[in-house]
Amino acid sequence: MWFSRGLGSLNGVITIDGLVKRRGKTEILSGVGFQALPGRVTGFLGPNGAGKSSTLRILLGLDRAQQGTALVNGVPFVSLADPVRTVGAVLDGSGAHRSRTGRAHLRWVARSAGLPLSRIDEVLELVGLADAGSKRVGRYSLGMGRRLALATALLGDPPVLVLDEPLNGLDPEGIRFIRTFLRERAESGRTVLLSSHLMGELAETVDDVVVIDRGRIVAQGTLAEVTGAHRSLEEAFFALVSR
Amino acid sequence: MKGELSKLASLWSVWLAGAVAVLVPTVITWLNSFMARGAGPDRGYQELAFGVMGVIILGVVAVSSEYATEGPEAGGGRQITTSLTAVPSRLRFLAAKAAAVALVAALLAVVAMAGTMSLAAGSSVEVTRLAGVVCYWTYTALLAFGITVLVRHGVVPLVVLLVNTSLVSMTFLLSKTFPVFSFTPDMAGARMFVEPNDSTVDISPLLGFLTMSGWVVVVLVIAAVVFTRRDA
Repeated sequence: MWFSRGLGSLNGVITIDGLVKRRGKTEILSGVGFQALPGRVTGFLGPNGAGKSSTLRILLGLDRAQQGTALVNGVPFVSLADPVRTVGAVLDGSGAHRSRTGRAHLRWVARSAGLPLSRIDEVLELVGLADAGSKRVGRYSLGMGRRLALATALLGDPPVLVLDEPLNGLDPEGIRFIRTFLRERAESGRTVLLSSHLMGELAETVDDVVVIDRGRIVAQGTLAEVTGAHRSLEEAFFALVSR
Repeated sequence: MKGELSKLASLWSVWLAGAVAVLVPTVITWLNSFMARGAGPDRGYQELAFGVMGVIILGVVAVSSEYATEGPEAGGGRQITTSLTAVPSRLRFLAAKAAAVALVAALLAVVAMAGTMSLAAGSSVEVTRLAGVVCYWTYTALLAFGITVLVRHGVVPLVVLLVNTSLVSMTFLLSKTFPVFSFTPDMAGARMFVEPNDSTVDISPLLGFLTMSGWVVVVLVIAAVVFTRRDA
C-alpha cells in the first residue's frame, strides 16, 4: 500500500511499520503499523494502556522500538533536518518547567530551533494564551498548560502535528477549540495525528481511524469504514476491543 | 546552546545557584577579614573551594529541571519531552547543555574570585592557582551535571554533593584512613589551588588537574552512553 507511493509524495506523511516494543518481559507493541496522510485528521484510538503513547513516543524518537520503523517524510524523526519546522508534538501536560513563564518556555524552544522570537506572541495569540504569557506555568490550569503545549508545537508552523490525548482534562470550550483548530489544520493540507480514548468526542473530528488494542492494530480505515454497520464510532470501537 | 543558555537564565534556581556561588566565598572572606586570625595566605582560596556549592546546584538543576514532573492535576508532563522533540539528537542536546553549564560555571568562578580575592587580605594572586579555581568549579558543575543525568532526579545528588562540600566531607575523612580517597575528584581537584593541609598522599597541582579531568571524562562518557540509549 504505502510503498506504491512515489518518494515525492511523502511530504507530511507519517508511516509506521511493524513496531515491536518490549519493556522487560511484557510486549507493549506487537507489530504496530499504519499511515497518517496530509489533509486528514487521523484518530489513533484505543483503551488506556493499549500502546498509543508508546507508539507516538517512538515516532518522536523519545522511546526506542526493538523492531520496526516510524518515519516522517520518509525519514526517522531523529534524522529530520529541521524537526521543529517539520513536526509539532503535544505530549503529556504542558511540557514546560513550572517555574518558567509561558513566554520564557516558548523562548528557549524558539532559540534552540533558530526560530524568530516574534513567533512567540503569534502562537500565544493563536491558542488564546496572549494574556497568560507572563504567568508562571506552575500557576496555569490544566487547560492552559495544554494550550501552551499546543503553542510550543506550533512555533515552527509545521506541516505535521502529533498529539497524545489532546482532549484530556479540557473543559467543553477547550475541547471545541482543539477540534475546530485541528480540522482547520487538516483542511489547509497539513497532517494531524492524534491519540485518544474518547471515541464520542472524536467522531466529528477525524477523517481516518486506527484502532489499537493490547499492542495490536485491530482496525484501520476511513471513519465510515471503521464505523461500518455500527450505529456510531463508539459502538464500533467497543465491538472491536471487547474481549 | 542558545536554547540551553536561555533555559538556564529563566530558572530561578539557577539564579539561586549563582547567588550562592558568588556570595558564599565572598561573604565568608569578608567576615573573616574582621578576624586577624582568619587572614592567611591561603584563606581566599580555601573559601573559593566552598563556593563550589553554587555550581553544584547549577549542574544538578540544569538536568533535574528537565525531569521534574508536573503534578497530576497539570497533566504529568516533563520538559525533557519538549527538549528532545526540539533537539532530537541526544548527543547534541547533552553537549549543548554541558557547554551551557560549563560556561556559566566558569563565569561564576571568575566573578566569585574577583569578589573574594579583593577582600582576602594577604592572599596572593597567582594566575595558575586562579586558573585552578575556574577549572575546579567548571569540572565540579560538570560532575554534578553528569551524575544527575544518570539518576534523572535532583534531590539525591544535590544533598550528597552539597553535604560533602559543606558540612562533613566524607571524602576528606575517608582519605585520612584510606589514601586512595585522596584521588576522589573533589580532593584531587582542590589541589589545583590549595596546599594539602595534612593529606597522607602528596598530589601536585598538575596531578590533581589530571585526576579530576579523568573523573569528568569518565562520568560524562557514561552519562552520554546511558542518555543516548535509554527511553527519555
